[in-house]
Amino acid sequence: MQDAPLHADPATFEIVKNSLYKIAEEMRVVLAKTAYSPLLKSAGDFSCGVFDARGEMVAQGPDLPIHLGSMPDAVRAVVAAFGSDVHDGDVFIHNDPYFGGSHLPDVNVVRPSFSHGRLLGYACLRAHWPDIGSATPGSYGAVTEIFGEGLRLPPLRLISRGTLNVDLEKVIFANVRTPDERKGDLGAQLAATLRATERLKALAERYGAEQLIGTMAEVMNYSERLMRAMLAELPDGEGYFEDFCDGDGIADTPDGEDAPFWIRMLVTKTGDRVVVDFAGSDPQVKGPINAPLSVSASGVYCGLKTAVDPNSFIPPNSGCWRAIEVKAPKGTVVNAEFPAPVVYANHEISHRLADMVMGALASFWPNQVMACSQGTSAILTLGGLDPRSGRRYVSYETIKGGFGARPTKDGINVVASGISNTMNTPIEVLEMAFPVRIERYEINPDSGGAGQYRGGCGARRVWRMLDGANATGALCMERMTSPPFGLLGGKAGAAAVVTLTTPGGVTRRLPSKGAFSAPAGSVVDMVVPGSGGFGPVDKREPSLIGRDLLEGYVSQRAARESYGIADPGVLKAAAAAEDKA
Amino acid sequence: MAWRIGVDIGGTFTDVALIDDVSGDIGVAKVPTTPRNLAEGVLSALDMAMRRHGIAAADVGLLSHATTVVTNAILEEKGARAALITTRGFRDVLELRRSARADLYDLFQDAPATLIPRRRRFEITERIGADGTIVTPLADSEIDGLLAELKAARVQAVAVSLLFSFLNPRHEQRLGARLRAALPGVPVYLSSEVLPEIKEFERTSTTAVCAYVGPTLASYLERLQGAMRAKELPSLYVMASNGGILEATEAVAMPAMVVESGPAAGVVAAALVARQIGCPYLLSFDMGGTTAKASLIRDGQYETTPDYEVGGGASGNRWMHGTGHPIRVPVIDLAEVSAGGGSIAWVDRAGALRVGPKSAGADPGPVCYGRGGTEPTVTDCNLVLGYLDKGSLLAGDLPIDHAAAMGAITQRLAEPLRIDARAAAAAVIDVVNHAMAEALKIVSVQRGHDPRDFTLAAFGGAGPLHAAALASELGIARVLCPPIPGAFSALGLVSTDLKRDYVRTVYTNTAVADPAALEAAFAGLEREGATMLDRAGVRAERRRFERTVDARYERQSYELPIPVPPHVLDQAALGEMAQSFHDRHRQTYGHDNRSEPVQLVSIRVTAIGVIPPLPIRQRTMVQEAVHAVPTRRQAWFRGTGECTAAIYHRSRLAAGQMMEGPAVIESLESTILVPPAWLAKMTGDGFVVLTRFDRGNG
Repeated sequence: MQDAPLHADPATFEIVKNSLYKIAEEMRVVLAKTAYSPLLKSAGDFSCGVFDARGEMVAQGPDLPIHLGSMPDAVRAVVAAFGSDVHDGDVFIHNDPYFGGSHLPDVNVVRPSFSHGRLLGYACLRAHWPDIGSATPGSYGAVTEIFGEGLRLPPLRLISRGTLNVDLEKVIFANVRTPDERKGDLGAQLAATLRATERLKALAERYGAEQLIGTMAEVMNYSERLMRAMLAELPDGEGYFEDFCDGDGIADTPDGEDAPFWIRMLVTKTGDRVVVDFAGSDPQVKGPINAPLSVSASGVYCGLKTAVDPNSFIPPNSGCWRAIEVKAPKGTVVNAEFPAPVVYANHEISHRLADMVMGALASFWPNQVMACSQGTSAILTLGGLDPRSGRRYVSYETIKGGFGARPTKDGINVVASGISNTMNTPIEVLEMAFPVRIERYEINPDSGGAGQYRGGCGARRVWRMLDGANATGALCMERMTSPPFGLLGGKAGAAAVVTLTTPGGVTRRLPSKGAFSAPAGSVVDMVVPGSGGFGPVDKREPSLIGRDLLEGYVSQRAARESYGIADPGVLKAAAAAEDKA
Repeated sequence: MAWRIGVDIGGTFTDVALIDDVSGDIGVAKVPTTPRNLAEGVLSALDMAMRRHGIAAADVGLLSHATTVVTNAILEEKGARAALITTRGFRDVLELRRSARADLYDLFQDAPATLIPRRRRFEITERIGADGTIVTPLADSEIDGLLAELKAARVQAVAVSLLFSFLNPRHEQRLGARLRAALPGVPVYLSSEVLPEIKEFERTSTTAVCAYVGPTLASYLERLQGAMRAKELPSLYVMASNGGILEATEAVAMPAMVVESGPAAGVVAAALVARQIGCPYLLSFDMGGTTAKASLIRDGQYETTPDYEVGGGASGNRWMHGTGHPIRVPVIDLAEVSAGGGSIAWVDRAGALRVGPKSAGADPGPVCYGRGGTEPTVTDCNLVLGYLDKGSLLAGDLPIDHAAAMGAITQRLAEPLRIDARAAAAAVIDVVNHAMAEALKIVSVQRGHDPRDFTLAAFGGAGPLHAAALASELGIARVLCPPIPGAFSALGLVSTDLKRDYVRTVYTNTAVADPAALEAAFAGLEREGATMLDRAGVRAERRRFERTVDARYERQSYELPIPVPPHVLDQAALGEMAQSFHDRHRQTYGHDNRSEPVQLVSIRVTAIGVIPPLPIRQRTMVQEAVHAVPTRRQAWFRGTGECTAAIYHRSRLAAGQMMEGPAVIESLESTILVPPAWLAKMTGDGFVVLTRFDRGNG
């Protein structure tokens, strides 16, 4: 297939390819501008894609790498469930990770596009709803079966030839908190997919359905060819990496401790293909941090794409991954079997795997990898009754840490890394929407791992529950006990720490996962992990240490302890003098 | 008061346009831009233009300027040593940004630059709550210590951005007064004055941009103003990104308003043309050597957008966050793509044809310039296809190497693609046209407008060459090529109004809003605008105030601008506003929700000092009876293959002359391509109008 010649007309190929990616981008604009929940409209927790009639992803929007591997399954699930019983004006909805979803809060809206009765393909918009039911606001409770995680929707026909299935809609909105907000979000998903299918139809009218469908196949072949060409130019090799996760949120010992579990990865690159084998990884766990295989694949793809194609030449679509094989034994944490709960795994395991790919590749591609990034989505959900309006609310935030250090550069402070690229919610928007006050949002000094190139620092964010606003909170974090690793001599970044201080002034550390009660006046203080350093610490340029001291990214104590600088004051003064010159 | 003069600094040339206030006759001058001392370049261009056209200082009624000083200071990181003061616990807001990265998979991407480094970001104890009440009073006792630190850091400007200052500015005002008193000569920018709007990062970023570029802009404008006074020329106006002009002192008070000065001028000129020729629906298309810009004009008016990033990578879609410094001021809604005559065409390793984003620029330039370029550019392709030739490239100053261009295209494109060289060149043109068509679609289709309802106005050195093909791609039937395409933007400078925007966040909805309170809020903004117009000496009959409101459904995060009915606000007016919002939402996004109240987030007033419009015309030199006789050369078009095209010189065309494609109309500044199935006509005002006469299956 990869040897087939390009389309006879190079201009048409390039134009149609670009148009398909523009369609995915336009979906993004429509969704963000019309959605209701801050998680979608401000933070951007969603992905858009254009798919062919078989459910292969032809173009993924510039959204979230987390959905690279699992988005195609979202449309394939609809194709598998409905076959040829798909009509103009239909819309499908589903969220079940055991039927092509990623975790229950990610709700897929899939809409077919037709031109003169011929099925061209599909538009799919996967959006993270801040709540999908379950016992915990935000649906992030530590439960032991998927039945406890919220409303499960296998692939269903929400709209049939333009007519809404009102009964289905009622079931959905009866099972989620803040249904009014969800209606706005679903409306935005419908609008964005409608825009995309209209654009596809216009392309078919312009170039002919045959030509469009042929070009869609070629766009995927094109990505495959590029991926294989880039792989072939890199050295062959084999790398092993193992790492442990903090736990699954379910107590494993009588005193309530959560036991860690291990993931083991062997990456083998031969010629123009890569095999990633998870043999030896731990069996699936009780709590909701079990990854369906497609979620694991997303993490692997994200890490490999960054390493193989560091300048982003290859358009992301299903073709990219034909050269990559992911093998994982069934029933392990990276290939979960029904009815294991999964909600945390979507981001926590895929974050982990993207970082681990870098660790495994470091032995044979030392110039194409980065040290471990924050490695967690650092999620805090809060929910309850807003005393200012009397309305129920659910807040969902993901806080950023460090972006790993590179072979030639420091990491980046507090920016989305790896499989994530959501935005923060502005403090002023958050406080107007929910009964909380942010008391601190800042860069946490000394959290970037030391090295020739320093890891990026993580953030610290502090929430206070307003008077009269008793809340139920839930955390979903990793890297509290397993700090982000450094590479090739670089040190680990700082681990995550979250504390809860009650109105009575008692402070305790919160476990990395699960619900907790946050009464009015209590304070949640979250320190997000920094990232690992790269290269030996003693090779760090002293003037860079001086600059970090001047900016306060590194303290004098850390300069002494981590970098072995006898008198940091001298370096700092030198940096200050240069600044004033 | 006979002449208006506009001076537009570009990357390569500084253009001067002169218009006779009475006749509308146009003059042009062009001098090389002097990057080290931009003011010098402006003054010498002005001198040259006035000498050439025999204009005395007393004959100049209006002098207006588009400057790149602000953008350059940011791109070259040569702004002031600025400081930022924030609420305690929040000094990193500027660096934390919105926390998304610009490129998903780029291993080596850099963190976006921060205009004010952490060492000059300070905090003060205070807090305003989400309802505007004071949670923690401002710690006045900390101010002396803060002043000592600012002095020790020898700061040249200060930005102050406290949380929720858009709801309650008192803390900022009190702190600002102390800073201004203690730091004479150091400009202090308060976020509640610069941008009283929600979202702390965007407000802080806008305020930081002001502090970073303020001192540079002030000294540049002072130098120019001094020179103008010495020459007894009138006081200088500056083009703002919103398409209006501002007094120099207003620009210094709010430097974020002048970031897109130059590109705005071109769109303003296009809007002027739209009104003049009675063609109110125009898509403006400006293409030069490295970038192409598209903008939409509706009812003779351009549109502005409140979201913009300065100093980021060029992006076709301004929605893409993360590379520059966000400023929340109205900027003319432009879409920009890295596509120009210098864009390099190449075949990637999977065998696909690509154009750009690399450009050969001015050095080495296209292969055909023979200055060492080896990679085929868009210009080389235009040459090989017969659209350009020796005469129309660089005005014949340099020998053009046709064979070298052909060789590069054959070797680097045609052979790997296994097609004929001219087919390869045509494919390059198709691809670059498509990229530019995408920019035009962003400002039209994505905003809910059908490009087929518009006329395309093409200018810039390369715009008229690609315009007809772009029009065909978008289904546009008419293309307008105005006079002086090369210096067309400078015309916009002298044909626009004084204009400044004022904004206030109100947060109410149409169901509960008190019309009287809203009316009072609008009136307050109008008073601010009136003060600005007083200072500029604008007479009452020349004043206009426009009201709009940013509206959305309550739980959305992005607003749509809605006009406010032009009478005192009452209950009925609120209903009208809700209605317009539902309509606009449906038009833009394809659905609405009429059962929901409409939230009014911010109110806006644009204060306008009207400057009488001008006709733009360039008289044709030739009597109508003596139609130019064309020469001929071979050209290649998709569909027809090789054919003979008629070649005209624009300066020798008579009014009313018709030319049928395939034809090429050449002039010193720019070449117009008339493809087969298009018809060109020279108008009496010096416009060339192209129409498609074959609307078959195109």
